[in-house]
Amino acid sequence: MSKDRDPLTKSTKYTMSKDHRTTDRASTKRGLSRRALLKAGGAVLGGAAGAGAITGFPTIWAQEIKNIELRHVGVSYSVVKAVGDQAAKDLGFKVTMQNLDTSAAINRFITQPDSVDIADVEGWQSKLATKRGILQGIEVKKIKEFDNILPIFTKGELEGHKIPRQGISPYEAMYITTPEATELHEGVTDWMTFLPQVYNADSIGYRPDLVGHEVTEWKELLDPKFKGKAAILDVPAIGIMDAALCFESAGLIEYGNKGNMTKKEIDFTANKLIELKKSGHFRATWTTFDQSVQLMAAGEVIIQSMWSPAVAAVRVKGIPCIYAPVFVKNGKEGYRGWCNGMGLMRHLSGKKLDAAYEYLNWYLSGWQGAFVSRYGYYSPVPSTAKKFMTDTEWAFWYEGKPAPGPISDPYGVPMEKAGTVRDGGSFVQRVTNISCWNTLMDEAVFMNKRWNDFKVA
Amino acid sequence: MTPADRAVRPGAVPKAVVAHAIAPRSSGRPWTFYVLLTVFVLYVLALYGPMICIYILSFQDVRGGLVFPMKGLSLHWFVDLFTQVRTGDVKGAFDRSVKLAVIVTAITVVVSFLAGLAFRRRFRGDGIVFYLMIGSLVAPGLVLSIGVGLLMNFIGIEGRWYTSAVGAQLSWTLPFGVLVMFAVMSRFDRAWEEAAYDLGATRWQAIRLVVIPILAPGIVAVALFGFTLSYDEFARTLQTAGSLNTLPLEIWSMTLNVTSPSLYALGTVTTIISFVIIAACLGTIGLIQKRRASRVPAY
Amino acid sequence: MAAREGAFGWLYISPLMLVLVPFFVAPILVVLAASFLQSDGFGGIIPSFTLGSYVDIFTSGLTLNLYVETIKFTVLTWFFSLTIGFWVAYFLVFHVRSPLLAIGLFLLCTVPFWTSNIIRMISWIPLLGKEGLINMALIRVGVVREPLEFLLFSSFSVVVAYVHQLTIFMIVPIFNSMARIDKRAVEAALDAGASRFDIIRLVVLPLSKNGIALGSIFVVSIVMGDFFVVKVMSGGGSASVVGAFYEDIGVLQYPSAAASAVVLTIVVTLLVTVILRSVDVRKELAR
Repeated sequence: MSKDRDPLTKSTKYTMSKDHRTTDRASTKRGLSRRALLKAGGAVLGGAAGAGAITGFPTIWAQEIKNIELRHVGVSYSVVKAVGDQAAKDLGFKVTMQNLDTSAAINRFITQPDSVDIADVEGWQSKLATKRGILQGIEVKKIKEFDNILPIFTKGELEGHKIPRQGISPYEAMYITTPEATELHEGVTDWMTFLPQVYNADSIGYRPDLVGHEVTEWKELLDPKFKGKAAILDVPAIGIMDAALCFESAGLIEYGNKGNMTKKEIDFTANKLIELKKSGHFRATWTTFDQSVQLMAAGEVIIQSMWSPAVAAVRVKGIPCIYAPVFVKNGKEGYRGWCNGMGLMRHLSGKKLDAAYEYLNWYLSGWQGAFVSRYGYYSPVPSTAKKFMTDTEWAFWYEGKPAPGPISDPYGVPMEKAGTVRDGGSFVQRVTNISCWNTLMDEAVFMNKRWNDFKVA
Repeated sequence: MTPADRAVRPGAVPKAVVAHAIAPRSSGRPWTFYVLLTVFVLYVLALYGPMICIYILSFQDVRGGLVFPMKGLSLHWFVDLFTQVRTGDVKGAFDRSVKLAVIVTAITVVVSFLAGLAFRRRFRGDGIVFYLMIGSLVAPGLVLSIGVGLLMNFIGIEGRWYTSAVGAQLSWTLPFGVLVMFAVMSRFDRAWEEAAYDLGATRWQAIRLVVIPILAPGIVAVALFGFTLSYDEFARTLQTAGSLNTLPLEIWSMTLNVTSPSLYALGTVTTIISFVIIAACLGTIGLIQKRRASRVPAY
Repeated sequence: MAAREGAFGWLYISPLMLVLVPFFVAPILVVLAASFLQSDGFGGIIPSFTLGSYVDIFTSGLTLNLYVETIKFTVLTWFFSLTIGFWVAYFLVFHVRSPLLAIGLFLLCTVPFWTSNIIRMISWIPLLGKEGLINMALIRVGVVREPLEFLLFSSFSVVVAYVHQLTIFMIVPIFNSMARIDKRAVEAALDAGASRFDIIRLVVLPLSKNGIALGSIFVVSIVMGDFFVVKVMSGGGSASVVGAFYEDIGVLQYPSAAASAVVLTIVVTLLVTVILRSVDVRKELAR
């Protein structure tokens, strides 16, 4: 089977089980009716391209891929069973989603690469995975929507605003020069390390009723007024960066690169954290998602680092909680960004590899984008996601406008009333105010040690 | 033979006699009984404390979270548990965990028993085997599972919950089982076994008909530990389970995202099932005992 | 008979070895090897021998702090689970008249363990939290006016979680030991005029030594090797030895994690050996 770009690929659209859109090419229309007969439910593979390439029998393609199983492994907020089930339904092959925590996932990819097909990695993990040579380059030409991917990932900028490079931004972790390369390349090439599928900008969550005023700066987390009622999360790399954002905002220190601190900077940050802990400033350092929700909902904590769906979960309980819009001010503040994406493991080949590309393309075709948007996450191709979102949802989640109607969570439970505005405003506003990205520091071991000093204090 | 050597003589002195000896009041119980009863009741209450929260909170409706105050009253989460609308494959993981636990328990009981028999006499290298076993008990599961995963990938075997996870969990449960067997067998009087041989039993008959029944409480203890340890095992299974998670792995991964009260529903369901099983077992035993008693002519 | 016994010894021990070798000996050798090598910073290992990881461990104050913290939890857990476990076992063996009832009560204690550990860990929040059952009850009754904060996300909650989970590991071996105590010894002591407490002190306690030692070994091994109870229940307030190298593994720093693991294994093996020596289980077994 040839791997050349097929002219059909560019204009062939997917036919979803919900929404039957057929291709506009006569030859595939013929194949389509045969396929439609074979496949009850009408889900058609965009591998009409592949079918065209294998001379003759689309049926063989459909039959063969039925036995393919793709193992997609990653964290539970990125690798979602509902998404996998929908993909399996639309594409015709089996998708097995497995959830592990961040640390177990990267270890699994590195030590047992043959047991995973699609590795869901964070931006910085992609750097590790590439160096270890367990991924194969994703051919940019084979990604249908590549040109529609936001320039954050393809140019490192959005609407003229350059995306900051503190930490490991997806743009710098995405490109390699050859499919087998183990060094990252600065700038777009023909080969990607991972295909972004979900990302967001994190900040602080707080209880407006208990805090009493609007919070727009990270330094509020350190305010002595909130002693005993503040919290950060217990992941060293993220926790330290959140702390760094707070200390920089408070004017205590200026960092060269919050995402890659020197030993001195790490020492300063850790010592200050220990000082705060000893003075009883932190109620807890939360480990699980629900702990953060519980702490905020019960009022045990009134300001803390939080994740977007946690804020939503608190609001579902009818308790006011705001995700602080920490826009960049005077070169300080700003959101902390993160990005998860899918990497192809090196051992994939043949039909399984083709199926994997179908899978990757399906993610950018809209259904998944709409699904994750209801968590408050963003899709790298908002234009396709928009097709699967209602106008109400689009206005609320992406445009930052007051919701024209009530907003529900991904499973249909009502969450926001009409008229509410998304915290932080529109997509463009939030993403252009990201000031650093989740990262892996050069001094990671040293940082872990200091973090443990903080925990043991 | 000193009295200490005759450590076990089943049925030698009826329990009631001893209980009476310890509680010499003719009717009723000594004050220590009530104190200890209180301690026991408090212990059971403390054990069930978190469980009670689980039971109550599992009956919330769709708006429910993981804590009080309770929201609504419905069977929504039980339905969700079986239909799995939300993130996570709780039902599948639960099935796998239970099956895995049963397999591990069965193998643990058999292997521990055999190992206990083996250690009754000194043999060459028994010290090494013993300390290897202790090492396996205390080694941190996190690194062991990574090591096993690495080796498997190197050899080219893929991990599966019913192969590599079984082995990894056995490396954890077997030391528990063997140690319990040690303790139990050390009190076992060889005289009974010798008597069986004298009466013409083969080695296996002796083991089957004499040793095992006497050691039954110890074997049950091993089975209990084996099941509990396997069902809750996390660190060693983390990298050896293959592409399908066991329950602890699944729940732990879910904690990075919204966790739903369907977990509580699972807790309630397992409790109900276990009560039913226990009631059935006790009922059966009680019936058997009653029937045996009725067959024995009263004196 | 002796020669046959010897051969049978190896036959019976072979299933155990079949598990230990691939699932303990092999991986621990890999770990041992990794602890002496260098990391390239990206999860790879440079095959150059170095004692650097061990030097870091032994010269860092953090190591001491971590061990102190973990041992503190171990001792507290051991103490409470032993006290509670001993009395519960004593009650079940000596004060419950009907064996069927004793079994029933015992099984009642095991039902919570059919619910996964992690679910029970999550459920501590609705029990101990500020808006939890206990605080609500205390406020309702009037014992306190403000909800007690120390109940959750503190060392207290860590010990409570451990004791809750591990007392059963004390009860079972002690129960087994006590059940085997020759009742005639008790009778003899009573005849000699001993009080009930004397009996406990001089007869029951020494004869349950095995069970207590066994339970202690189990509790110590589990607590020293655990990381997620501390992580979750202390609300990040405490760290543990395994927790620390869990984070190293998260950034693929294998050599330092491997070295920590090796040191921990040796330390806990020594602890267990000390406990075993104090009762000499093996000597009792193989006469």
